[in-house]
Amino acid sequence: MTDVRGSGERTATNDGLQTNGHGPEGITEEFVAEWRDSAYGCFSSGHKFCREVCPVMQVTRNENHTPTAFHANIVAMEKGHLSVEDVADDYIHCVQCGACELRCPNTLFTGDFYRHRTRTVDVVKAMRALAVDSGVEQPNWKRWVEATMQASNEPVVDGVSQETVRDWAEDLDIPTGGDTILFVDCEAAFYRTSVARASALVLRQAGVEFGLMQEQWCCGGPAAEMGYIEHARTLAEHNLADWRAIGAARIITLDPHDYISFTVDYPSYFGDDYDIEIVHITELIAELLHEGKLTLTQPVDRIVTYHDACRLNKRKGIYKSPREILRAIPSLTFKDVDHVTQWSYCSGAGGGMRIERPEIAEEIARRRMEKAAELGIDTLVSACVWSERPLSERGAEQDPAIEVRDLMELVADAAGLDYGGVQR
Amino acid sequence: MFGFRLQTEQPPEPRPVADGVVMRLDDVYEIDPSKMQIVRQQNMPVSDSLRIVDSRWEHLAWMHDHWADSVLSAEEQEDSDE
Amino acid sequence: MSVVALSDSVADELRSILGSDYVLTNKSSLYNRARVPAPFPVHRWNEHIADIVVLPETAEQVSEIVKLANTHKIPVVPRAGGTGLADGAVPMTGGILVDIKRMNKILDIDLVDRTVTVQPGINMLKLNEELRRYGVIYPDDPASYPCSLVGGRIGTGGWSLIGARYGHTRDLVISMQVCLPTGELIEVGDGGGRKIRKSSTGFQLKQLFMGHQGSLGITTEATLELVSRPEAEFAAFFGYPDYETAYSSTGALAKSGLASLAGVVLFDEWKVDYLRRDDEAYIPQPPELRCVVAVAAYGSLAETKPASQVIMAIGKETGGNYLGDEVSQGDWAARHDRYATPLHGRTPEGQVVPMSWHCEDAAITYSALPMVREEWHAIAKRYIDDYGVFDDWGMFAYTNGAHKPWADYLVEIDIGIWEQRLDDTVWDAWVQCKREITEVSLKYGGSITACHGSTREGDAEFVPREMGGGFDVMKKIKRVLDPNNIMNPGKNRLDEAYED
Repeated sequence: MTDVRGSGERTATNDGLQTNGHGPEGITEEFVAEWRDSAYGCFSSGHKFCREVCPVMQVTRNENHTPTAFHANIVAMEKGHLSVEDVADDYIHCVQCGACELRCPNTLFTGDFYRHRTRTVDVVKAMRALAVDSGVEQPNWKRWVEATMQASNEPVVDGVSQETVRDWAEDLDIPTGGDTILFVDCEAAFYRTSVARASALVLRQAGVEFGLMQEQWCCGGPAAEMGYIEHARTLAEHNLADWRAIGAARIITLDPHDYISFTVDYPSYFGDDYDIEIVHITELIAELLHEGKLTLTQPVDRIVTYHDACRLNKRKGIYKSPREILRAIPSLTFKDVDHVTQWSYCSGAGGGMRIERPEIAEEIARRRMEKAAELGIDTLVSACVWSERPLSERGAEQDPAIEVRDLMELVADAAGLDYGGVQR
Repeated sequence: MFGFRLQTEQPPEPRPVADGVVMRLDDVYEIDPSKMQIVRQQNMPVSDSLRIVDSRWEHLAWMHDHWADSVLSAEEQEDSDE
Repeated sequence: MSVVALSDSVADELRSILGSDYVLTNKSSLYNRARVPAPFPVHRWNEHIADIVVLPETAEQVSEIVKLANTHKIPVVPRAGGTGLADGAVPMTGGILVDIKRMNKILDIDLVDRTVTVQPGINMLKLNEELRRYGVIYPDDPASYPCSLVGGRIGTGGWSLIGARYGHTRDLVISMQVCLPTGELIEVGDGGGRKIRKSSTGFQLKQLFMGHQGSLGITTEATLELVSRPEAEFAAFFGYPDYETAYSSTGALAKSGLASLAGVVLFDEWKVDYLRRDDEAYIPQPPELRCVVAVAAYGSLAETKPASQVIMAIGKETGGNYLGDEVSQGDWAARHDRYATPLHGRTPEGQVVPMSWHCEDAAITYSALPMVREEWHAIAKRYIDDYGVFDDWGMFAYTNGAHKPWADYLVEIDIGIWEQRLDDTVWDAWVQCKREITEVSLKYGGSITACHGSTREGDAEFVPREMGGGFDVMKKIKRVLDPNNIMNPGKNRLDEAYED
């Protein structure tokens, strides 16, 4: 697998490339040469099937925020019309959910045939990295990443530190190290610890042996999403070294953002040596239910709908296992909305949106909650702990209020487990 | 196997199935790579190709359902006529 | 670039109308509202940017913007989805680009009189997602269904894949509110009732404001038809050993007299060859399969089921080989997003290159279809051989008459253009190719464009010839409604209306 800056493509020709001296010497020229074919792949089609599925576009209706513009800007930079300073603001407006690049006919109808698909998420990440490298930084992202590097974890609450990263598990006697490691992301480790505890206890009940890392740092995903690639690599290198040191062969992720970091970003950093197996918890739990190693016997009397996490559904095609799990919970009334309709849904929590454009993130979450409320439910179930904070805030505004629960919390409830932790 | 392992994400070698068309994964047609010298192919893990194929069929099913309550099948009607 | 330089005071006036968040002057905002999917002279991009972009939310704001433009004689370029296949939304002489995407609300749903009133910035697929719970649908179904917007459909006079059953945009729009080029907001319909479909009061103004490519005003609200959600959909694809058999089968199906018939589509040999490049439905088809005809029907089960049996019988009797449910249903469902993807493009040596798609459309009578097909392909071949950056992606013929499948055809030839190789020489060659194609359409008594529009070089030159005396009437109307020539100037040769 190639460097994360690369599109994975190696172009045979740079015909027509006009250098223009915009931006620091060499960087912009190199960038446009690398992304040129991706850019024209979109620009020459100009079809915009991406626009109406984009959660950001649904709110802003500003064509600058379309994947079309994200690609067209690169063509414009090649032609000398625009510089990275001119375009950096556009790329803030993306949650990197992956709806656009999947919905794009260049992916959906011919991406598999040509082994060449639309890669808007990569384009946004690469352009954000170019902006950072060119000295065009967004103030809140900069602060967030600096704080993350300081504490080795994201500042999801005041005072996060390596000293307290395992506090969520303090009475659970989870060993350090082993063949299988549970990776608990920063939001679950420090903010919504009920998710971490529920996951751990469910796995234990199903007979899955697992341990924790010696030093769990942030996965590096958010830094990469915001354009701070070197910092992302630093975090990644530490985590991989820790995994190797403790003999880990398999990592269980409970958060889709980590699943993406470990299956997309880490291979691009580490290449063919990267031999760790990554398993997302919903896939594992569904399998355990199927094998009879986990049985859910306690009724959960709720009327729920499921929020497809963007990074599971759109970016990885994982939409069956969460639904299988929900259907195995006794007494649950499950009002489903299909996963294709949910290509245009989002909580607004990804891609740094809550940090740099909180008003847009809030509106995206509000609209998601409105859609849920139309179904006459009392609970919105998510499989992404990052989505749960913004959605909970909006759910509290509904009348009657709609509770937001994590899928693993409901599984633990149905398994009769008293997991505790802070649930908000 | 439902986890991700980099080692199993490499697609198999292509075998020709039609003019200019090859197959690596079962039932997934692909362009003959020799035709992609000006626009180079991307590194596309097996799981990504399969995600695209699955998404396409799911999208088409969604489109049918968006437009009408049912889709009539000519084959079924023929069978029932027989 | 701008003919009239925009002063700071004009920008300030716009800000006082809209709020400064919705008045955009930065370069990225301008450069990203220049092109539409139609091939674009990317080597001359900066000749096609506006001076300023405004994002209105209400009809009143649109009215004030247009009045301001008249006062200062600044061009106005309306832009809906920017998904059109002619250049209606491309700025030709700078000015104020009015981007209506924020105007995307549903204003009223009337299930008793079967209408829905919307703002022009709403997309039909998103509208229909909201309407589904009521058992109704707005059946305007272009190949851009998931991305085009109601305002653009009106501005371009859009065509629907299922128009033979449900009508096209101009049949499905019952009435509208239009901002005239001088800024007044008026209502136009069939007569004056917002929900009246047929009237003989006054002139039939609604059709005047359809398909004008933004040159006669900006639609600010539209009242649309609601039809019952179809109980059943039926699609059948037939294969044929030659064009003649497919052509006569097309005629037979189109003239079958079935009320639920929604469309018949003829794919010629070049189209099937092109589909064999990368379409999983066509790759495994035997070489004897040269042409395809697709047929669809929608409606109640009571009508559609028997209709499907008639369709199957006619298809087979006229030499068609049914391609199976999977191909039929899969390909039909894909027709709702059928803008061509760039990697369909091939160099003469067979290498894949990303090509921009030029869909040259015309309206042609059934009797002329075979000759138009031969002559268009011959033209394309010459340009492909001479320049090496074009590609022939085949032709379609689709039933064209609203509610009249037996009538004329939307005929399209899809030409790929290797856009990264565009320079003035190639651009001029391509425009010349379009002219030759257009001459053929007119030679056979057809129309330059069934639905995309005739705004561009290569089409616009022929508008007076096609319209005859009607072109003078067009110029008079344009001059009267838009005395300052500010409403989307430079399109359809209408600037000639001002030559004294």
